[in-house]
Amino acid sequence: MASNKKYWKSYQELENDTVVQNVANNEFVQDIPTDEFLGNKETLESSSTTRRDFLKYIGFTTAAATVAACEGPVNKSIPYVVKPNDIIAGVADWYATSMADGYDFANILVKTREGRPIQIMPNKDAKGSTTARVQASVLSLYDEKLRLKEPSKAKKKITWADAHNEIGTALTQLKEANKEVVLLTGTMASPSTDKIISEFIAAYPNVKHVVYDAISEYGAVEAFNAMYGVRALPSYKLGDAKAIVSFGADFLGDWHGGFEVEYAEGRKPENGEMSYHVQFESNMSLTGANADKRVVVKPSDQVYALLNLYKALTGTNVPSKATPVDAEIKKVAQVLKKAGKDAVVVTGINDKNAQLITLAINKVLQSEIIDTVNTIHTRQGDDMAVQQLVSNMKSGNVGGLITLNVDPAFTLPNASEFTGALDKVSLKVAMSTEFNSTVEAMDYALPISHYLESWGDTQFRAGQYGLMQPTIQLLFNTAQAQDILLKWSGSDSNYYNYLKTYWSDSVITDTSWNKVLHDGFYHTGVTDAPEAKDIDVASVASALAGSVKGSKYELSLYTTAGLGDGKQANNPWLQEFPDPITRASWDNYLSISMADANELGFKNPVRDNGAIDGNYATLKVNGVTLENVPVMIQPGQAKGSIGLSLGYGRTVGLKEEMQVGVNAYPFYKDFNNFQFDVSIEKTSGWHQFACTQVQKTIAGRHDILKVTTLKEYLTVDPKDHHHGWNKPAYVSYDHNEVEANSIDLWDEHNREMGHHFKLSIDLNTCTGCGACVVACHAENNVPVVGKKEVRIGRDMHWLRIDRYYSSEVETREDAKEQGLSRAEMYRALETEAENPEVTFQPMMCQHCNHAPCETVCPVAATTHGRQGQNQMTYNRCVGTRYCANNCPYRVRRFNWFNYSNNDEFDYNMNSDYGKMVLNPDVVVRSRGVMEKCSFCIQSTQATILQAKKEGRAVRTNEFSTACSSACSTGALVFGDVNNKEDAVTPLVTDKRAYGVLDYLQTKPNVIYQVKVRNTNEA
Amino acid sequence: MSHYEAPIREPLVLGDKTYHDITEDIAKPIEGKANKNWYIAFYISLAAMLWGFGCIFYTIGTGIGVWGLSKNIGWAWDITNFVWWVGIGHAGTLISAVLLLFRQKWRMAINRSAEAMTIFAVFQAGLFPIIHMGRPWNGYWVLPIPNTYGSLWVNFNSPLLWDVFAISTYLSVSLVFWWTGLLPDFAMIRDRAVKPFQKKIYSLISFGWSGRAKDWQRFEEVSLVLAGLATPLVLSVHTIVSFDFATSVNPGWHSTIFPPYFVAGAIFSGFAMVQTLLGIMRKVTNLEAYITRLHIEYMNIVIILTGGIVAVAYATEFFIAWYTGSPYEYYTYLSVGAATGPYWWAFYSLLLFNIAIPQLLWIKKIRRSFVWSFIISIAINIGMWFERFDIIAIVLSKGHLPSTWWRFEPTFVDVGIFIGTIGFFFVLFLLYARTFPVIAQAEVKTILKSSGEFYKIRRDEEGIPTKPEIKVKKAKGKSTKKDKE
Repeated sequence: MASNKKYWKSYQELENDTVVQNVANNEFVQDIPTDEFLGNKETLESSSTTRRDFLKYIGFTTAAATVAACEGPVNKSIPYVVKPNDIIAGVADWYATSMADGYDFANILVKTREGRPIQIMPNKDAKGSTTARVQASVLSLYDEKLRLKEPSKAKKKITWADAHNEIGTALTQLKEANKEVVLLTGTMASPSTDKIISEFIAAYPNVKHVVYDAISEYGAVEAFNAMYGVRALPSYKLGDAKAIVSFGADFLGDWHGGFEVEYAEGRKPENGEMSYHVQFESNMSLTGANADKRVVVKPSDQVYALLNLYKALTGTNVPSKATPVDAEIKKVAQVLKKAGKDAVVVTGINDKNAQLITLAINKVLQSEIIDTVNTIHTRQGDDMAVQQLVSNMKSGNVGGLITLNVDPAFTLPNASEFTGALDKVSLKVAMSTEFNSTVEAMDYALPISHYLESWGDTQFRAGQYGLMQPTIQLLFNTAQAQDILLKWSGSDSNYYNYLKTYWSDSVITDTSWNKVLHDGFYHTGVTDAPEAKDIDVASVASALAGSVKGSKYELSLYTTAGLGDGKQANNPWLQEFPDPITRASWDNYLSISMADANELGFKNPVRDNGAIDGNYATLKVNGVTLENVPVMIQPGQAKGSIGLSLGYGRTVGLKEEMQVGVNAYPFYKDFNNFQFDVSIEKTSGWHQFACTQVQKTIAGRHDILKVTTLKEYLTVDPKDHHHGWNKPAYVSYDHNEVEANSIDLWDEHNREMGHHFKLSIDLNTCTGCGACVVACHAENNVPVVGKKEVRIGRDMHWLRIDRYYSSEVETREDAKEQGLSRAEMYRALETEAENPEVTFQPMMCQHCNHAPCETVCPVAATTHGRQGQNQMTYNRCVGTRYCANNCPYRVRRFNWFNYSNNDEFDYNMNSDYGKMVLNPDVVVRSRGVMEKCSFCIQSTQATILQAKKEGRAVRTNEFSTACSSACSTGALVFGDVNNKEDAVTPLVTDKRAYGVLDYLQTKPNVIYQVKVRNTNEA
Repeated sequence: MSHYEAPIREPLVLGDKTYHDITEDIAKPIEGKANKNWYIAFYISLAAMLWGFGCIFYTIGTGIGVWGLSKNIGWAWDITNFVWWVGIGHAGTLISAVLLLFRQKWRMAINRSAEAMTIFAVFQAGLFPIIHMGRPWNGYWVLPIPNTYGSLWVNFNSPLLWDVFAISTYLSVSLVFWWTGLLPDFAMIRDRAVKPFQKKIYSLISFGWSGRAKDWQRFEEVSLVLAGLATPLVLSVHTIVSFDFATSVNPGWHSTIFPPYFVAGAIFSGFAMVQTLLGIMRKVTNLEAYITRLHIEYMNIVIILTGGIVAVAYATEFFIAWYTGSPYEYYTYLSVGAATGPYWWAFYSLLLFNIAIPQLLWIKKIRRSFVWSFIISIAINIGMWFERFDIIAIVLSKGHLPSTWWRFEPTFVDVGIFIGTIGFFFVLFLLYARTFPVIAQAEVKTILKSSGEFYKIRRDEEGIPTKPEIKVKKAKGKSTKKDKE
């Protein structure tokens, strides 16, 4: 059916017009002149492009293309082929878990991004609180230098199967030979692990479990056991206390795990009353720094003073001695009696008898503050058993030693004895997360997963259970100790199943496993209070008095907020963390009183570059000598006493930069934090400290740091022109004195729309612990710069905690009374008192509404945000540093060097593992730009976006910053003052609220609350 | 022709110089070969300059951290050197512009070199704001360059931005002014040049100067206009530099007297630097006949005057620091706190070099002594450096919060860069001395009759003015006619 139809497009075409034909023929106007080019041989031959040239061009372009291809870094990014259900790239997941590393125990929340934990926050629902060390532990997870990655035998890699086989065989042999095998662990506070160990012991009856705490609280545990029949530590409801008397107990530090949350509850003057806190101590501790009254007393006198207090309270005569502080003791006794059941006495002396005396005193007082029901289980170490173990090892009675996350070869006072005796042990297995001296000395090294990679459970306090869950895939070829023990016991179960079964069988009664796993905790509550037994105070007291041999110098060993027992010594965040008291980082040192320093010739000169140096001393304690101990003069150190912190001086396995400080463990004889028979000798040379603060006092500038007393707070008008304790700044305007805030050079920002962020800092409840400092480090990718740089004043902390000591002359009026000239007055104001009052002041970008930094930047890299923040645009910054110079708070930090990917700064930003901790929401700054606190804008924006996505308004108190979330005591409150319900809103107008340097009218968005001391003596 | 000059007026040109002598004297260093001293000085300067450049490259390559700065002290030697060099520049402009307007003839012997000093000093000064940046490769961001990023613009509130405008304006006006003055002198050298290359270069840079009356007329007019433009710059540039400090909130910087005080200080230091340079130059290039005791004395009188203003400013600062009774003001750079603090040596150096030593100039013998002037000028140079160091380092070392009190210690890089700029400055100056007419010979010739000793003697002896030379220079006799004062 062929068609003959012809289609035409126009009449012209139909009529076969010639024009149309011509157009059709000429559709391609010109032929490509191939013939012209190729056909004409002459032109071809005369062409300058010869075959050789052609090859040259080809060669060149190929080479150029090859060279160009060499350039350009290849960043591999591998997309999820199968996307995990619960991970959305860019959205953080939070897991509730627990930390328990043998020294630090905390219920925490872990923030993970794309499967990596990047931050730790307290699980406040579980009454959890975090310290600097807990906050920093997330970085220790990624410590590829120190962590054990493979099982090894005699430093040679072996497989897990071989290790299990060999160790299993050895265990069986030892069982058959009935040779003792000791399982040495730290305190784990884990009920299921306890059960696994008991099953392990059941399988191998020759196994003995010894619990060893590097920092011992054996005395308190034993005393409580003796009196109440429970091997645990009592808790203290300090929030309800009217009078707290502490003899060297650093309960805001590490004593009993810390009581800062409870303590802060009792320090709120809004309630009209506050606890009255007296601290008798020899070192300046965090707790002493917060005390209303701090009495310096050397260690031996501390013991006598405690006995004298018992005497003063009860009237019974116990053997003791007179001390220089007996007058104070008498006063304190009155206070305690008055406070009665609301009073409590605690002591940090690690001596059973001293602890028994305090228990007896609390019993006499009928104290309801001491909580014998909700006992604390985070210190279970048995010093006697540990020493027994060493002597058994020496005598060859120990056939096998299995250690789990303890480092006796470093932390034991007689560590060398321990390592020497190891030769007589045939089976030596170290299970450890990290490489340390013990791992080095043992045959088998079994890598244990970090707690963030592990399952587990906890019971920090009686009836308060917690769960631990993995937040990341195993980074290395590690295993959990529980799994290993189960395997050795011959069980087929893995620990996860075991744990689940154990919990549903023995712990959970009224809820589901998933619910507990989600919450991270499960509180059952305890009701049965143990009966207090009577003790023979007289014999206890005489034993106590007899155990003290006072000497000219007495050593008091302590732990710092940064390093604690030293487990995380390879953690750059903690090394760089300035000590709250001395503000020195990267060091420990012998602290000494000014009087003793003068006598022995010690000095702390400030060098021309702003850094502090210190003399070296040779320290001899009970026959143990330590050379080149740097000396730091410490205000508030009792004369005749010296302090030295444990946990430093580790070298094995540590990065060279982290091998700082001196090891004080050899002095820790009998695990006693007080050591007598001390001699100090000055030696030559200067030690270079890395202190972040040089000037110790406020130098009379009381508008920066306002402090008042409870009495004044309650009775005096804060704005009273003469006696007011929170007077506003006055400036001269039109020849009249007017309130600084009443006039303004600038236009007010319009804050009616959107959010207006403010941060309130309560100087009263801030204990200075520094958890916020590390939280800020983690949240904002703040670089670590190392000791050398910190020393010359280049630490990068966006948030710092200034510490000020009082001076003997505090005000102009004082100086006038004493008849001082002006120069003398300022000299006196600059000089710290011998036993000063201490105030902490967290300081970060104040986000001024009229920011001096904003006006001076030539390129407008720092500008004001709609929400009240002072914002920093790193990309725009050219680095003139004018903003930093013009910032009266000096909170801006300059990137002097490239701190990432730079071998000169070999910390966490220079390795692939270390970089995993970086917060992807915050850019890593390059060198040459200024940076500073941003009010965690990435997190406030995330909150806003979340609300927007869910189609709702932002909830009350939903905004938070890293520092405010990390603050256990609630001293830092962040929020939106445009929301009247937000917790921060009433604080802004509180009668205690003030802005630092308000006379400058920078109108900061950070508000401080005046510190109130209780001088009422209960 | 009816010229009368008081016999007591000292001559400004010594020796029996004729117009031709002047030409010869000025052209000699350019046409002749450099002596050994020049080479020694040049190589030392060159070495210092290269060392400084090395330090600059090290800084840019590694980071500002190689300097001694810290979180609390964000500026120290960098801005000290910047302000120091800018200040030095001021004398040149003052001499060439202000003294021109005031018809001070004595400026003619020194204005060329003083202006050269200005320009070279501003080069050095300009280096510092660039290299002190953390990211100098982005330094052009401080210029208001239109861009495609929408509202990305400079911050006109920032004194640093004002600095950018002030310094760049200053440099361009000074450069044009200087070059204008150089035109007839370049032409003179061009006309004398025998080597073709030299001739080519000098004809190029003399912009086709022909020496016609019209040229001279325009030359005079442009000089006056530029002098008028440059005069406010003498006041404005350092005023704006002082705003860097005065508009800030730091006690010690936040001071309303800074602008006049800085300007006086700048002239003070600038004249000192001119003294230093001329003290060397007149010896090295045999220009003793042109740079005379009288010049030295006049400059010393300016130094006494501006030094006095500076001293009063210091006293005011010190008094106010005391009088406020504020604990913040107690530690400013001029206060008891500074005198007794860690920077006492810098405090007393300032007083010694800037206040005490210049008082010697009240003594006429010292004021007219070349050696003493030279020594005192060095002292003032040091003192004025300390002034800026004190203002910057002492103030920043005692910030508002005592927890931020710190100290500054320079590193070898800080020192190296400073020495490098001194080397760079002298390299430029020594090259200038060999290639540029170092004295405005055309102008000096105009005062020869009224100030040249030789002509005075002839006038006294013969009672008539000498004719031929007057004819030659008649075209620009304009300014001499009115020269009665």
